[in-house]
Amino acid sequence: MSITQGRLKATVMDAEQIRRSLSRIAHEIVERNRGTQDLVLVGIPAKGDHLAVRLAAKLMELERAPVAVGSIDISQHRDDRHLREPAHRATSNMPDVKGKVVVLVDDVIHHGRTARAAMDALMDFGRPRAIQLAVLIDRGHRELPIRPDYVGKNVPTSDAERIDVLISEEDGVDQAVIVAG
Amino acid sequence: MAVGSRLRHVIESQQFSRTLLEDLFSRSDEIKREPHRFMGRLNGQVMAALFYEPSTRTRLSFEAAMLRLGGQTMGTDNAREFSSAAKGETLEDTIRIVSGYADVIVLRHNEEGAAKRAAAVSSVPIINAGDGPGQHPTQALLDLYTIKDELNRIDGIKVAMVGDLAYGRTVRSLTYLLSKFKDIKIWFVAPPTVAMRNDLKAHLDERHVPWVETEDMEAVLPEVDVVYMTRIQKERFSDPADYEAVKGVYRIDKSTLEQMRKYAIVMHPLPRVDEIAPEVDDDARAAYFRQARNGLHVRMALLDRLLA
Repeated sequence: MSITQGRLKATVMDAEQIRRSLSRIAHEIVERNRGTQDLVLVGIPAKGDHLAVRLAAKLMELERAPVAVGSIDISQHRDDRHLREPAHRATSNMPDVKGKVVVLVDDVIHHGRTARAAMDALMDFGRPRAIQLAVLIDRGHRELPIRPDYVGKNVPTSDAERIDVLISEEDGVDQAVIVAG
Repeated sequence: MAVGSRLRHVIESQQFSRTLLEDLFSRSDEIKREPHRFMGRLNGQVMAALFYEPSTRTRLSFEAAMLRLGGQTMGTDNAREFSSAAKGETLEDTIRIVSGYADVIVLRHNEEGAAKRAAAVSSVPIINAGDGPGQHPTQALLDLYTIKDELNRIDGIKVAMVGDLAYGRTVRSLTYLLSKFKDIKIWFVAPPTVAMRNDLKAHLDERHVPWVETEDMEAVLPEVDVVYMTRIQKERFSDPADYEAVKGVYRIDKSTLEQMRKYAIVMHPLPRVDEIAPEVDDDARAAYFRQARNGLHVRMALLDRLLA
């Protein structure tokens, strides 16, 4: 999905803010889990997997130990699967999660349905000791009882708006924007 | 009750149109600037203050407003114990009687919907000065007026509502009013136990007002123009442990103030307990005492509009 598909309303995060938010989230992950032992970061494509890789690099800096990173294909677990075009299967690439603390990473949380699907999909790979959720942007309007553990920024939105997160790995720039839906 | 240019009763904040609000606020400005021009405007008129629930401040504010306009006031602070209500008279009957004596009735009642019931039988204007957990529309008016007075605009502002959002009627009434303006953004900052209720969130969605909920006040402070603090009320929690867990969470002091924008304002309907440290009072952004004073001018404008 690209920025050109809607009317740009405002930039909610620039590259520097995204960098700082990810840094803060990395610190919070270390603090909450008292280190990074037994930690696995799992990104939700298409943006969350890149953010997970970046977070892992920051955690490596902080704790001087590598953190396993995976990505998860949630297409078979979406509750609106019947409404969507059969997507190409972005297959998961998953380190061992049994008994680990898995931090799911996504760019935006809205209704909470993607996070639910991700948790469901994750369970197919084994039983993690705990699942935590990190998002760059929480835009509210939850429809499921799901609350992220780490939030980069809370952004008030209406249903008539969309938030697009652009990241340099895919879009050439780091930026989060509100677009008229 | 859709009110256009004519204003009969003041029952709930939804009833105010944007035009009427702008009208009332420019009148409030005039009164604030040149109070002498309004002396004697309501000569010979009588306001009855019927308070079934004590509220010294609201009552004094209304009485001062009426007296400054040249009107007279009468009333009771304990309408429930001392009036014929104690003998079993219905609210409706009391209102019928009092509306024969007074030109306007200011009513504070413990039951939600009391003001509406009173308006149905009254031959003079009723002003709702708080009906239980329902509404407190004149508080919302003075809150909104304060925002306009301090920031010079209402359209486009970003507001954080902090604290007890489930039971705080002032934040509810103010949110209704804000939803009438353009490009408003709202952050509801509260522990889940006293989060904003769904009816109001649905109202915002209907009007496409962007909002978001969070528990993290510090993250929101650098974003907003208005921080509206409320007291988390101990009596709302059934489990004292729940209250202890959240009571000191949201507090504005010198260090949190540093994270706020330079021109942002801190508001509070008062009374405050420890949500705002006294050291904040001297900061130019502390607007809560000016907010309380604005109550006088807005209530004068309202009485003038209803009676002059």
